[in-house]
Amino acid sequence: MSKLVARIPAMAKAAVESTTPKLNTFVRYAKVELVPPSPAEFGAVAQGLGNIVKSAQTGAWKNLTVKEATLNTLVAVEVMCWFFIGECIGKGSLVAYQV
Amino acid sequence: MASLAAPVRVSPLIKFGRWAALLTGIVYGSSHFKSLKAKETILREEEAKQAVIRNAQLEEEKKKLNRDEMIYLAGQAGVKVPADF
Repeated sequence: MSKLVARIPAMAKAAVESTTPKLNTFVRYAKVELVPPSPAEFGAVAQGLGNIVKSAQTGAWKNLTVKEATLNTLVAVEVMCWFFIGECIGKGSLVAYQV
Repeated sequence: MASLAAPVRVSPLIKFGRWAALLTGIVYGSSHFKSLKAKETILREEEAKQAVIRNAQLEEEKKKLNRDEMIYLAGQAGVKVPADF
């Protein structure tokens, strides 16, 4: 048992060393892809919403290719999943409301 | 990993949608949890009070049934039941 405990610092160091490059790549992508929109981009946000509303009103959404529509659906599903992730965080449990 | 692809420039609408959904989810999850927890604590207190009464009632019923069963068994076995049983 004492040998196991003596190996823990070495194992921790090895774990950190092996995960640092992966963490670096994650941060490299996250800084571009996952960061919230800066105030400068709010104009584009409003424009995007306006585009969606207009396309729904004029019926232009019927002219999308099926591939584009599938991609849009997948992106919408991904955004909905973030809501569920937030709900799990808010309720403090993964599976159920532990009342 | 030899050559990593360049990070994708995600559209601001999607980024805004993701973060809005995440924050809305956190707020909704925490508020829904609080309301459910409040209802459940009220129910639990009610149950605790009722449990005391119910346990007493169940104890009485058990004793009565035990007594009746012993009397029946005594009748079957031909044992005379004492007067103060």
